[in-house]
Formats: sequence, C-alpha cells, structure tokens
Amino acid sequence: MEQWIVVTIIISAYLALTLTIGLMAGRKQTSGVTGYVAADRSFGLLVMYFVTGASVFSAFAFLGGPGWAYSRGAAAFYILAYGALGMAPFYWIGPRIASLGRRHNYVTQAQLITGRFPSRNLSGLIALLSLIAFVPYVTLQMRGAGIVIEAVTDGNVPIWLGSAVSYGIVITYVLSAGAMAVGWTNTFQGIFMVVIAWALGLYLPHALYGGIGEMFTQIIAERPELLTGPGLATNGEPWSWGAYSTFILVSAVGLMMWPHLFMKAFTAKDDDTIRRTVILFPTFQLFLIPVFLIGFSGVLFPGSPPSSDFILPFMILETNLPAVIVGLFCAGALSASMSTGDALLHASASVVVEDGIQQFVDLEERTQRRLMQALVLFTGAVAYVFAQDPDSSLVLLLASAYGIIAQFAPPVVAALYWKRATTSGVITGLLAGTATAFFFWQNPELKPFDMHEGIVGLLVHVPVLIGVSLATPAQSEEHLDHFFG
Amino acid sequence: MNLRTARLLTGAYHLLMLFFVTWPGTLPFAKAEPLILGLPFSMAWIAAWISGSVIVLALLDQVEKRFRVEDGSND
Repeated sequence: MEQWIVVTIIISAYLALTLTIGLMAGRKQTSGVTGYVAADRSFGLLVMYFVTGASVFSAFAFLGGPGWAYSRGAAAFYILAYGALGMAPFYWIGPRIASLGRRHNYVTQAQLITGRFPSRNLSGLIALLSLIAFVPYVTLQMRGAGIVIEAVTDGNVPIWLGSAVSYGIVITYVLSAGAMAVGWTNTFQGIFMVVIAWALGLYLPHALYGGIGEMFTQIIAERPELLTGPGLATNGEPWSWGAYSTFILVSAVGLMMWPHLFMKAFTAKDDDTIRRTVILFPTFQLFLIPVFLIGFSGVLFPGSPPSSDFILPFMILETNLPAVIVGLFCAGALSASMSTGDALLHASASVVVEDGIQQFVDLEERTQRRLMQALVLFTGAVAYVFAQDPDSSLVLLLASAYGIIAQFAPPVVAALYWKRATTSGVITGLLAGTATAFFFWQNPELKPFDMHEGIVGLLVHVPVLIGVSLATPAQSEEHLDHFFG
Repeated sequence: MNLRTARLLTGAYHLLMLFFVTWPGTLPFAKAEPLILGLPFSMAWIAAWISGSVIVLALLDQVEKRFRVEDGSND
C-alpha cells in the first residue's frame, strides 16, 4: 500500500475517535447557557490540566515552535520562558474569579469586568476586541491543520480539503456539546500530542546525530550565532534584547487574559482544581523542549523546507520513518491545532453573544444558545475563507493579537483588587492602551527599544486607568459590597 | 511558615525568574556552553526556572491548604 494511503487511514481513524469523544461528552450536560459555556462548572483536575495545556499549545507551538528553533535559534526560547510566569498569578486570581463567578453567575470575562464596572459599552468593547484577536488565531489553526495534512499525504489531500474536514469535525462537536466536548477532546488530544512530541524529539537527534548533546555540539561548531542569545530575527540578523524581553513580558501578561483560557476558571469544579492546575501547568510547558529539539535537528540536515513553518513535516518525511509513525505524528499535530481551535471557536461565540449582543437585546436562554451555535459556524466559515489565502501577514496579526489581549489585564486586576478604580478609568485606559498598541503596530520603526507594541500600550494604559479613576468619583460602598460579597 | 511569608517568597521567586530570563539578568546565562544534559546552557537555564516554579507553587499550596483548613474558609 502506498504511504499516503496508510497515513490517510490513520488520520481518519484519529478524527473519528475525536468526533466520538466529543459527541459522547456532551450527553451529560444541561441544556442551558451555564452548561454550554461553562460545562456546569464540573471539570476535575485531569480535564482542567489538559484543557489548559492543550488550549495553550496550538498549531503555533507545534509548527511555529520548531520553525523558530530551526530558523531563529535561541529566539524560540522566549516561548519556553513566558508560560510559567504568566500562569503563576492565577494561583490566587483563578479561585477569586471562580468564586465571583459562582456568586454572580458569570460565565465570561467581560461579565466579571462589567459586574464591577457596569457599562454596556465596555462589555461590547471587550467582545469586539476579543473577536478581532480570535479570528486570525482560529485562521492560523485551520491553516496549520491543512498544511500538515497536505504535506504528509504528498499533496493528495490539499489544504482546502484537509482544513475543511478537520474543522468540520471540530465545529460538529462544539455545536452539539459546547464546553464539555472541548474539555474531553482536549484531554485526549493533549495526551496524544505530548507523547508524540517527546517520542519524536528524542528520536530525531539520536537517529541523525547520535544524541542530543552531539547534535548541539555540531550546531555550536557550525552555526554558533544561532545559539547565542537572543537568537536571530526573521531577516537572519541578531534579534534585539528589547524585543526578546518584551515578547516574554507581553505573552506572560496576556497568556491567561485570552478569553478562552480565562473562562476555564468558570468551568472548574472547585478552587483546589484551579490551584493544582496552576501548579502542574509548568510541566506542560516543558513539552516545548522536545518540540524545539525537532526544529534544531533540521539545522544541519541537508535540504530545507519551503518555509520554516514546514520544518516538522519536512523532517518527518525526509527521515524515512514508517508510514504509521508519519500518520501518528500528523494526528499529534492535528491535536495541537484542533484542541486550540475548538476552544477559540467556542469562546468567541460565547463572548460575542453574552457580552456583545445580549447587552443590547434581551434574549431567552434557548435563543442565546442557538445564537452561539450559529456564531460558531459563522466564525468558522470566516476563518476558513482566510485560511485558504497563503498571505503570511496573518502571523503578524497573531503576534499583535497578544498586544490587544494583554490590555485586558489592567481591567481584570483593577476589578479584583483596586476598590478605587472607576468605570470611566477602565474604559479610557482600555481605549488608550489599545490605540497605542495599534499605533505602534502600524509604525514599528517608532517603537522605543524595539519593544513589543503591547508593552508600550500597557505603559500608557496603566497610568491612564489610575489617573482617570482618581479624577472621577469613587464607586459606592453599596456597589462594592454587593460585588465582593 | 506563615501564609504571608509563603506568598511573599512565591512572588519573589517569580520576580527573580522574570529578572533572570529577560534583559539584563539573563545576559551572563544566554550562552550555548556548557551543555547541560545535552541541552544548550540558555535553554537548560530557563527549564530549571520552570521546574523550580512547580516546586515553589507546590510548597505554597501546602502552606495555603493548612491555613484554609484552620479558618474553615475556601476563599
């Protein structure tokens, strides 16, 4: 049998299994909004751990991570550094959010923020910014899935078909079962991708160079600039420390502010589950090590892929691995893409309906759920159209999406910890921070010290939030007592 | 150990981590050699801080748990 047929059979089996798990998971869930959005607040440690880990590690980590290691060397280590830093504060913030969620029946991030700072416009603004950040992210996941399938089937399954089938399945289980399906499929996909990444990351350096140390000794001898911090920029010149450091900072601040991750705090069964997930999360982060090893194994390998993002499928195909392994790898990469894509689609629909539309039109619970399902379909379709366009500027869009998402951090912290903060302060801060980030994204040559535009945005955002809050009347004791309980 | 100290130490660990993985704290450690367990020094350096984070948070959890039991709240 030809290799691509074996590979296609394995991928089909994997997709069928994912669909089955997704559909089975939803059967025990209630039909209301808390069921669809927050899985009836029922997730235990196993599911929370993998839901968080697998949602964070997307096609970007699985394809982009090795791509960065391969082409930009030590620059890729920024991806390793920020996760633990971004997650640690959630040990305290997470349970606090969850307890407010239980008391006031919140299921989204904007509900929490506007619970403290009542304003329909603020809610709509958060929904809009979330959607702007989400679409390029979903697009990238879909394109990643399509690229992998096309590469390993020798082009017999083109990108448009591969992304249509894999995301057709994602949309089916997200539509029918919501958060519960996202949780259980991510558990399955998370285990899958971790096992595949470690197996390949340890195998390739041994098979090609005789060991990990041996591989790096050779790279140091031939390409010393690659392993000298902070690595290389996209043009092959040394990267700046200003950019490297602020990439870590903005990603750490933004990580848990992504609505699809933030909302996970509302799905946990109890506070201890959140705390243990935070403690264990860095162990998931270490799985980037084998992912980088796969990328580094391509550095001295003869030949090169069409673009650095293809380094992973390229290495798999060029090293003559058995078809079964190629198929399993492909399923691992699909896991990474789909486990993030499903969470993103689910969260964007929930956010747009709950925080956008619902604020201005009063809807019945049944209609809300219907509307969310329609939006999953709509967002999926929009992202699918973008995913067919090989325009690489989407990668740039995603990098700047972090600049937007990081602006959610000051409102969240102010809502939870600063009683003197006011609604006007939060709204002006958010507008000023986002506008600044957007301006420097458009004019990168003006950025001070080559800093990430999201950090420049925060440097404007925080003083504006504090200044305007102090200049406007404080919130009433009554309101604060009601919110904090 | 009391709760306040444990929280301060946890915060301090992660601030130190931030300092030592970004400019300028990371400068002395952003080098390829010596290899640690086969990995470049700069990569092993970050991995070590991540592993430390798991231990520090687990220790904090032990202290927090004791105090939650004592005052009977779960907040």
